[in-house]
Amino acid sequence: MKKRDRLIIVLLVLLMCGYFLYPTIKWYTAVPQETKDLASGSNEQIREYARGQATRDLRTIKDLVASDAEAAVPAEFVYLEKTAKTNYKAMKKDVPSWNITTLCAGFYTEKDMFDTIEQHYRTTIVGVKTLSDNVLQLGLDLKGGMSILLDADTAAYEEKAGKSASDAEIKTLVNQDIEILQTRIDQFGVSEPEIRLQGDDQILIEIPGATDPERVNTFLQGKGSLLFQIVDETLSTKLNEYFTENPSEAYTDTGAIKQPDFLPAGKIAAGYYTKDSYGIDELQRFVVIDSEIGLDGIHLESAQTGTNGITGQPVVNFHLDAVGGDAFYKFTSTHVGDAMAVVMDGKVKSIATINEPIRQDVQISGFSADEASALAIVLRTAALPIELIVSSQQSVGATLGEDAVAAGLEAILIGLVLVVLFMVIYYGASGLVADLALVFNLLIMLSVLSALHFTLTLTSIAGLILTLGMAVDANVIIYERIREELRLGKSSQASIRAGFGKAFWTIMDANITTIIAALVLSQLGSSSVKGFANTLAIGIISSLFTSLFVSHLIFDATVTDKEGAKLHIGRVK
Amino acid sequence: MAKKNLPVIKVRFIALTVSIVLLLVGMFSIFFNGGFNTGIDFESGLSQRIQIAPVGLEVSYDGDASATLALDNSTITITTRDDSGAEVKSFPSSTYATASELADGLNALDGVTATAVDGSLKTADILSGYGFPATLSSDKTSLNFENSTGDTVSIDEVREALSALGNVQVQTVGSDASQVFQVRLSTNDGDTQASMEEAVSENLANTFTDEGFVVLESNFIGPKYSQTLVSGSILAVLIAMVLILLYVWIRFRIAYALSSIIALTHDVLMLLGFIALFKFEVSSTTIAAVLTIIGYSLNATIVIFDRVRENSELMKNKPMQEVIEHSVTQTLSRTILSSLTTVLAVLPLAILATGSIQLFAIEMIFGIVIGTYSSNFIAPSFLYWISNGLANKKKKKAIK
Repeated sequence: MKKRDRLIIVLLVLLMCGYFLYPTIKWYTAVPQETKDLASGSNEQIREYARGQATRDLRTIKDLVASDAEAAVPAEFVYLEKTAKTNYKAMKKDVPSWNITTLCAGFYTEKDMFDTIEQHYRTTIVGVKTLSDNVLQLGLDLKGGMSILLDADTAAYEEKAGKSASDAEIKTLVNQDIEILQTRIDQFGVSEPEIRLQGDDQILIEIPGATDPERVNTFLQGKGSLLFQIVDETLSTKLNEYFTENPSEAYTDTGAIKQPDFLPAGKIAAGYYTKDSYGIDELQRFVVIDSEIGLDGIHLESAQTGTNGITGQPVVNFHLDAVGGDAFYKFTSTHVGDAMAVVMDGKVKSIATINEPIRQDVQISGFSADEASALAIVLRTAALPIELIVSSQQSVGATLGEDAVAAGLEAILIGLVLVVLFMVIYYGASGLVADLALVFNLLIMLSVLSALHFTLTLTSIAGLILTLGMAVDANVIIYERIREELRLGKSSQASIRAGFGKAFWTIMDANITTIIAALVLSQLGSSSVKGFANTLAIGIISSLFTSLFVSHLIFDATVTDKEGAKLHIGRVK
Repeated sequence: MAKKNLPVIKVRFIALTVSIVLLLVGMFSIFFNGGFNTGIDFESGLSQRIQIAPVGLEVSYDGDASATLALDNSTITITTRDDSGAEVKSFPSSTYATASELADGLNALDGVTATAVDGSLKTADILSGYGFPATLSSDKTSLNFENSTGDTVSIDEVREALSALGNVQVQTVGSDASQVFQVRLSTNDGDTQASMEEAVSENLANTFTDEGFVVLESNFIGPKYSQTLVSGSILAVLIAMVLILLYVWIRFRIAYALSSIIALTHDVLMLLGFIALFKFEVSSTTIAAVLTIIGYSLNATIVIFDRVRENSELMKNKPMQEVIEHSVTQTLSRTILSSLTTVLAVLPLAILATGSIQLFAIEMIFGIVIGTYSSNFIAPSFLYWISNGLANKKKKKAIK
């Protein structure tokens, strides 16, 4: 490969690092604490906040118009000019010079202006919320997090099983729940949650960071039930008319939809929900569905999220297993032309007409991308043997004292500096190249880990630095080889060529064996072992890249065999 | 060949003896210590929520009946029960607004003596603790009030107060001002929930005599890692070893594969013995240390074996012993440098850090020393034995 092409690859990797690290840097430097707190609230809280702010701002604007109609637009409202401009153009009017009155005239109604302001606040907060999914997080030991206590729902279990359960049985079931929750919460093994049994029938979970209460719900309570049922259009219309006339009859005291008397056996009243712009479920209308289940979600083999090519809406592509495919084919062939509802956890999420019999691949819309991926996770993991109820939710502080954290971080930093200094002292200019590779290595690891939403604990930081100390090894092997070649009297360039060449398979063999161990552990290990293995694997690959590719490029680019030029790689003889 | 070869094969029996002795010491310490000193990650323990809160009122009862004191919606109720039945008296905070007013009200009851420690405290701030409803006796029962003075106790003071109990985890719950702390400690031999609760209370009482505290919740919690997770991880390590064996077998030869796995097992057992010998607390960081050492030692062994393989081609006429010793000598500078950089990275942690992370660093340093030793002495010795054994077998077959 030409040097230029190699340089392009290195730059591309650097660019990728920047792309992945950007959210983390932004989160820890540019986002104010207040916004972070708001973003960690539930979607309902965000909606409340955005509407409250919009009401306040609208009042401010109106007061301003009343006091001084010619006033300049205050800086905080300049963003409204953009929408107003579009509106003026839509109304086929000239865009005037801006003051507070012309700005207001740029909106059709007061409600329109309110919506624009609300949307402004919503996008900001929701944007920060999305950002928080792609940052390096601080662990329970450094920053604390949220503690959630769950109770096993023994009553529901007994009703379902039709018998009372002994304490020992409940304990076994709760322990099974714990293991399922481990995999749901910690997919890549990088979240470092703590999940423990408390007493005999409670589960105590601690999750690092300001965890969004809704996410917790999707993992803990999401039963992951997904059913396909046929919609009865006639009865649905009747039901909607009935509930419109008798709104007090629609819900039971607990908020569940009432099953009116006129529904025949085998028909169920359900609600059709869509997400509003905050991701909150909003009831659109009532739907009557057959209680006969066309297909149960347990037959789903895989679920992938995607976007519909025409509408651009998020969709989920389900692939059914052979049994489910056969059953679904039979079911859909008898119901061609009927409407089918996709029911998740008792809520109708979408309704589609069956145009032709379907066998194994189903595409359904009506899900947000987050919801779809959460659903895919829940469906891929087993259902909880006993359901759980959130009993309390509270924030908890760091487990380590500030002194301990400060001492630990200082020690880690000293260790890194010692390694860097050692390389320069021992190898001279070549040591600097190794150090450059080391910094690059750190950058690659941090960026990949932040893309995985990795949780930094004091131990994992120490582990990272240790990986770097070991990653220097690849450079050491190469340099020692180069020095051997130089001792044999070869020229600088020839020594470098031979050194890299001979060291290549040594380094590969040594690292491939380690990577085998890492891959097995990341597939089979439990959560924290998995996290360790993933970090190790990333570390090995990036150190192979930096030592064999980046250092090699630097040597090739800088070392010549010209008279007087000397390769600085420590004492040769 | 200016340099003299290191006689690693010559001293193979000494190395083997040293290893066996050390391994036996390790196994014996695991046996005599009754396994490992497991921390709260692997063991059940006590979890308590305590709140630093001043005592505002002390109540005692010396009547003939039994009396219980309960708190519900900031209303204090006293239930006295005797042969003739139960009698309930309520003291809502709306009527008895301060501690001294409540004390006067309680004193009016037969047999009840109430003393206001701080009469100005608001009864709306009374806290209901663990152990409520409380049975009153001639010993004083304390009623704690939420701290409203703004004079707060820091988490470091709580940690300090409990430091005598060993490895105790303390976290704040909610905001700092709420003064609620979560305390966690692992069970040691002979501890019961009651004895641990007492130990925590005693240590807190010694420090916070003026401030006062109340235990809000006390629970037994299970380990972070269940038995199945640990055995699953061990299985994963074994599978990984088999795959490594296969890879080295394919890339090198069976003798190399077997000796590298023997060296690896040697290192892991050594490290476990070391941890047991010094009774280091086993936590999730210990798992990380063991796994890191597996990677490290394997790396070191493969680098040396790679040289042996290369030299076997170059030195075809030389005996195996010389080939191996020459290879170890050639890679010696790399071995020293790599161990040194890795030790440099963790040494400051071993000196400056505290708690489990310090143990992690100490275990790592021990592991690096052992890994370096085994890859230079144990692995080459076994390579020598196994290759010779296989060669002899071949010879015998050929003669037959």
